[in-house]
Amino acid sequence: MEEELLRLQKEACRDLAALNDLKDLEPFRVQYLGRKSEFTGLMRKLGQAAAEERPRLGKLANDIKVDLENRFAAKKTGLEDAVHAETIITSTVDLTMPGRTFPLGKLHPVTQIMEEICAIFEGMGFGVAEGPDVETDFYNFEALNIPKHHPARDMHDTFYINESLLLRTHTSPMQARIMENRQPPLRMIAPGKVYRCDSDITHTPMFHQVEGFLVDRKVSFADLRGVLGVFIARMFDERTAIRARPSFFPFTEPSAEIDIACVICRGKGCRVCKQTGWLEILGAGMIDPEVFKQVGYDPEEYSGFAFGLGVERIAMLKYGINDIRLYYENDLRFLSQF
Amino acid sequence: MKFTFDWLRQFVDVNITPQELADRLTMAGLEVDAVEEIFAGLGKVKVAEILSVSPHPDADRLVVCQVSVGEEKVQIVCGAPNARAGLFTALALPGAVLPSGMTIKKSKIRGQVSQGMLCSEKDVGISDSHSGIMELTWLHESGADLAQVLQLKDTVIEVDLTPNRPDCASVMGIGRETAAFCGTSLTPPVTAQDIPRLTGENLEFSVTVEHGDCPRYAARLLKNVKIGPSPWWLKKRLLSVGQRPINNVVDVTNFVMLEYGQPLHAFDFKKLRGGAIVVRRARAGETLTTLDNAQRTLDPDMLMICDAERPVAVAGVMGGANSEVDENTTEVLLESACFAPVSVRRTARRLNLATEASYRFERGVDPQLPPIAMERAVRLLCQVAGAEVIADGVDYAAGVKDNEPIKLRVNRTNDLLGYAFKAEEITGMLAAIEIGVKQLSDDTLLVTPPSFRVDLEREIDLIEEVARLKGYNEFPQTMPLVPMSAAWQDQARKLRQDICAAMTALGFYEAINYSFVNPRHLDMLGLAEDDARKRTVQLLNPLAEDQSVLRSMLLPGLLDNVRRNVSYQVADIRLFEIGKCFVPGPGLEQPEESTYLTAVLSGRRLPGAPLLHTGEEKCDIYDVKGVIETLLAGLGFPGIDFDIAREAVEPYCESDTFARVAVQGKALGCFGRIATKVLTDFGIKPDVYFLNLHLDALLAATKNTKQFAQLPKFPSVKWDIAVVVPEQVRVGEMVESILHSGIALIEQVELFDVFRGGAISKGMKSVAIKVTYRSAEQTLDDETVVREHQKIIDILLTRFNGQLREV
Repeated sequence: MEEELLRLQKEACRDLAALNDLKDLEPFRVQYLGRKSEFTGLMRKLGQAAAEERPRLGKLANDIKVDLENRFAAKKTGLEDAVHAETIITSTVDLTMPGRTFPLGKLHPVTQIMEEICAIFEGMGFGVAEGPDVETDFYNFEALNIPKHHPARDMHDTFYINESLLLRTHTSPMQARIMENRQPPLRMIAPGKVYRCDSDITHTPMFHQVEGFLVDRKVSFADLRGVLGVFIARMFDERTAIRARPSFFPFTEPSAEIDIACVICRGKGCRVCKQTGWLEILGAGMIDPEVFKQVGYDPEEYSGFAFGLGVERIAMLKYGINDIRLYYENDLRFLSQF
Repeated sequence: MKFTFDWLRQFVDVNITPQELADRLTMAGLEVDAVEEIFAGLGKVKVAEILSVSPHPDADRLVVCQVSVGEEKVQIVCGAPNARAGLFTALALPGAVLPSGMTIKKSKIRGQVSQGMLCSEKDVGISDSHSGIMELTWLHESGADLAQVLQLKDTVIEVDLTPNRPDCASVMGIGRETAAFCGTSLTPPVTAQDIPRLTGENLEFSVTVEHGDCPRYAARLLKNVKIGPSPWWLKKRLLSVGQRPINNVVDVTNFVMLEYGQPLHAFDFKKLRGGAIVVRRARAGETLTTLDNAQRTLDPDMLMICDAERPVAVAGVMGGANSEVDENTTEVLLESACFAPVSVRRTARRLNLATEASYRFERGVDPQLPPIAMERAVRLLCQVAGAEVIADGVDYAAGVKDNEPIKLRVNRTNDLLGYAFKAEEITGMLAAIEIGVKQLSDDTLLVTPPSFRVDLEREIDLIEEVARLKGYNEFPQTMPLVPMSAAWQDQARKLRQDICAAMTALGFYEAINYSFVNPRHLDMLGLAEDDARKRTVQLLNPLAEDQSVLRSMLLPGLLDNVRRNVSYQVADIRLFEIGKCFVPGPGLEQPEESTYLTAVLSGRRLPGAPLLHTGEEKCDIYDVKGVIETLLAGLGFPGIDFDIAREAVEPYCESDTFARVAVQGKALGCFGRIATKVLTDFGIKPDVYFLNLHLDALLAATKNTKQFAQLPKFPSVKWDIAVVVPEQVRVGEMVESILHSGIALIEQVELFDVFRGGAISKGMKSVAIKVTYRSAEQTLDDETVVREHQKIIDILLTRFNGQLREV
């Protein structure tokens, strides 16, 4: 019995060593390790051996089996590795070659920022409405408490079409247009193109604004600060410091400019913030009673706030764009960066 | 509005630094634009004494000076005619940076060492005088800093005033605000208590105010005036805020305007005919040459200052040359008046003339200020021009109205601001800026705005003042309690967003072009004279001819973008724009604004895809057609028709590569290839394809309703047919004829090859079509398919004069 076991082991080792093709592995396994193999037969016969011999022979047989299985596994791995190595050498697949990409376009950075702004306010329940680019003098100025010959008109370099039509200088006319057709409570934003006859490194004659306003009973300046605080936290980040300072718009009172801590230098002072540490980000205020009277709301009953954001400016701050003229050249090297 | 820190400190105890002051002003609503130390580069400009002067050995016009600067002795080469031994002058040592930007270095001039430069007044930036080096004749010691000796060091602060705060267009106005937040007080050089009583009786001159747009007019006569340069302290003030000194009289009027905010005007009294001042409207045909030497034609609604015969000044805007103070003037009639803002603004606009005076009057000058500013100016003229003032004068004040008291409700203030002020706190804050308050009840305050606050007219103006004085950042941040409501949904915006998503997925970048364009572009497109798109909306005041009309098409802008990109070697282009086009309205009405989608394609079919896989394959007309098909199908619009009739091709297209698109029978737009000639005119070499869709038309079209259809249970059978047909046959019609053959089992018909040449005779083409058959009831057997397929073959052969091609 013992000789037979050792002979089988020797034969198996010899055959395994000679084996050099993956497809010969299975016949080998069947021959030496399968259920019908000579070895399995011998194992079954172990029971017939003398009782005192049985533990020794049993251990021997088991050791041989484990040994053969290990050798077999090693051989298999070796052969597989060899095949793998061979495949790698001869393969024509080269995964350093580029994939077949599809062109995927992008929205203009101004549109991206505008949509981001709209989404934040829509999340707070504001509706979105748009108005005409060619606006009447009435909606652009008069309805907003800017009569003819008011010095505030100097703040708007206006493109005129004729004596009563102009290219809107801000999106604020939408306040009057919406309010005169609807009753409070109102929460609206109005994104769109606006125009000023001014063109230099920091001004383009066309740019984009998002106007917003909220009207109801007992709306306060503190509410204005709250809503715009949420907007800035979402648009920039939660830790962005904000400050409001008095300003003047004929259609709001009190009027405010809202500054954020400079996103470039974090408030330390740099070229972008003109060393002040602050960046002007939007204009806002409580809607002036005159505006309410124009649209037939009772200013004693209703109050509200309005704000206007410059989209290009926010995009410049968020994306680090340093020349406003790049926006309207539609250079693909620019558009593809956002 | 510019002022200097030093100037301000004459009247207010400023217990903070210039930068802190700037920050406080900004937070008080007086936004500071710039804080600048002036004469900062003059640190190395010293007072020096010329010890000796000797001729330059190699230059006739130069001299070599030995100069002492304190303990030090240096040699300077100089060309000034007034260089002489014993003269105290200004010396710029190496390292000095002069206002012109010049940096002084040690050098050799024609072989002689020069250790600096002796300076003229112009060199150090205190006047335009450049005839010689400075003569500091009152000095007897060298070595000190020039800036210190001349007290030049100061900080200029520039405030960007909002139109509601004309009271701060003066050192006094800024001072009042400063005193409030510094907790100190303002001490003006002249106050209302200092004004003499003016009766207007027994005078050599008369003042007649004929129009209500002049509520106040004060005038006084000064004699024995000696015109000459102003003293240095006065020049320095003007120079420091960027004003050019002219002569002592003009300088005093400008100085008092900057100090008090009251524009003044000095007439040469001897030039006033009849010794009269008449404030009246201009008469038809009158003209006036203003101080800027422009002859102005006057409108009858312009308010003028006239003498007995003619206009001598445009009220509140600018004086006339005919009454100008000059070097021979000895008698000055000084005007200190108030004019109605709208009148001044209208006149200044009409004359296209904006001055420091009109700026202030347009916004509103304190009607109580004229006699105070007058007194200040009179005192100064006596001091700096040796003038003697006639004791009496005129102070017409019939048009001045007192400010009405305003009720301010504490509760209303608190509701609007979201705060809990007590009446006492409000009273205290307002009092700090000289606003008088009387408490009528717990809730009601009676506020009387001071005359200089022309902006305070309503309760809301006072509420803003309360918020401003408290500091905007002291208010809490709360969220409004508004009833919940469903937000308004704009369908046009939704459609645009969907299109944007689809177009970017199709590889297009979004472009945004200006709404105003070059009208010549429409000619370059070859549009006929009567083409509706040539009727554009024109701007009255365009910035440039190439931005002078509102666009009637988006295409020209995008073609310009293609040109630009190609010129920057980005030739594989997919760009789209969604924007408004404008059609003039009737008469003065608003134009019609319609939204379009226009896209352009040029260069490689798959921009940015690896060349390795896709090669240089260029896009063609089928790419652009495919974009429309994918877009509209993707958005769920059924019923898309292409009209390929070769009539009515857009003039800017190649006639064989153009089609119109309709949706559900309504015109939607077109696509095609831009004609080579048009591309040449736009400066583009490669082919460009475009599509243009009217989004308002698309918005009006009906979308597929989303409705589930059962999935097929039985397999389909696909059979191919290849037919040789004449070239003129349209393959689309072949496909249509199969689809409309009435054969119920046809599920899909797909073209898969169009082939010319080889065994196919000239003038013919082989068209290969794959037909998919499927039954909803059973698995199809060969027999059925053969029968149906034969019907299709028959249709193709008979209707299109085709021959079956063996596959």
